Amino acid sequence: MFGSFLKTSQVKSPWLMHFDCGSCNGCDIETLACLTPVYDVERFGIINVGNPRHADVLVVTGTVNQRNAVILKNLYDQMPSPKLVIAIGACGCSGGVFREAPNVLGGVDKVIPVDVYVPGCPAKPEAIMDAVVTGLGKLKGILEASK
Amino acid sequence: MNLNTFYLAMAGLILAPLLGALVAVVDRVITARLQSRMGPPLLQPFFDVGKLWSKVIAPASHWQGLFVRWALVASLASDVLLAAGGDVLMCFFVQAASASFVALGAFCGNSPYGKLGAQRELFQLLAYEPVFMVAILCMAKASGGFDAFSFMAAQGPLLFKMPLLVPGLLFVVLVKLRKSPFDIAASHHMHQEVVRGVYTDYAGRDFALLEIAHWADVTVVLWICSFLWATGPLQMLATGLAFLFAALVIDNISARLTWRTMLGRAAPLTLILATANLVWLYLE
Repeated sequence: MFGSFLKTSQVKSPWLMHFDCGSCNGCDIETLACLTPVYDVERFGIINVGNPRHADVLVVTGTVNQRNAVILKNLYDQMPSPKLVIAIGACGCSGGVFREAPNVLGGVDKVIPVDVYVPGCPAKPEAIMDAVVTGLGKLKGILEASK
Repeated sequence: MNLNTFYLAMAGLILAPLLGALVAVVDRVITARLQSRMGPPLLQPFFDVGKLWSKVIAPASHWQGLFVRWALVASLASDVLLAAGGDVLMCFFVQAASASFVALGAFCGNSPYGKLGAQRELFQLLAYEPVFMVAILCMAKASGGFDAFSFMAAQGPLLFKMPLLVPGLLFVVLVKLRKSPFDIAASHHMHQEVVRGVYTDYAGRDFALLEIAHWADVTVVLWICSFLWATGPLQMLATGLAFLFAALVIDNISARLTWRTMLGRAAPLTLILATANLVWLYLE
């Protein structure tokens, strides 16, 4: 019973860390809009944290380049398992219009494994919330498979 | 120790952290409603702790685990002391030890934010402990004993004999609940200029235990505040809730102050008021 409560807890309490990997701020504004009274993600138990050691979900916006790839990897490594990564926007998914730039590596998945991709330029808050719910569904599947 | 005391102590050990969790969810839901949001479900604090408990992460320092466990034991011991009708002054000292262990654990970590938070935690201790102690001395003087049962057996509400304690106790509640304007060492909300302050380095199971210790601390502080109107259980509950709601409203309408303002203005002002009340009680 205690084990099943712990598994439920992992799905019911996703603490989210947002990392701007070189975004134009469009997707960042939409991500933070999820916390406002209009969308209120706290009703799903979601909290926006600033510390990777406390985070369960890493939300990344913007393209990955040579300089911020190290920081992105470092943040990911500091997060405790099990963890989810969500790439937000066209830039986060694939590098977007910047993908051919000489310093750009591409999307987030060039550096760390991504669980959910959210397309859009910028991505809508509804799509971001849907991505978190999809990610949690994936996590639930993994936890149930590990029984 | 008779059997009744043992039962009361056990009830304090189990129910006090649960009450603290209830306070945590009431706090989050009311804050959300004040901001035109719905807020989290009622079981959210338990889900948060359950999630943290199941996380796999290496501690920032091996000493941290030890300090976290000591902090939890001290916080629960203060609950047990209060529930069993023990010495309230002793309960206060044990609770101060718990806050010190949290700061010591943060000093053991690597994060500069954690260390800064730990320094601020010590400043907070320096600011609220004298006020809290004078408040307990006032209650003891008015009720004729230092044990919790004497406080509760006092003739009539203590509030009328010590109105000047209210700002001081509210200051203590704001600091202990980690609410604005005194959420200096670590904010109850997850964002701050020093990341998560004194909690930055704690993670996983250690952080879950700290959260339970925080629930226990909150219960003790609100319980001691409720002695101001201890004519019955319902009156005590209403007094505790009044302090909680006042803290929530202040949290939502104020910005964070610096530790200098806390130590230089808020702490001396509330201490002077509380001491004036103590002198008044002795002169009466």
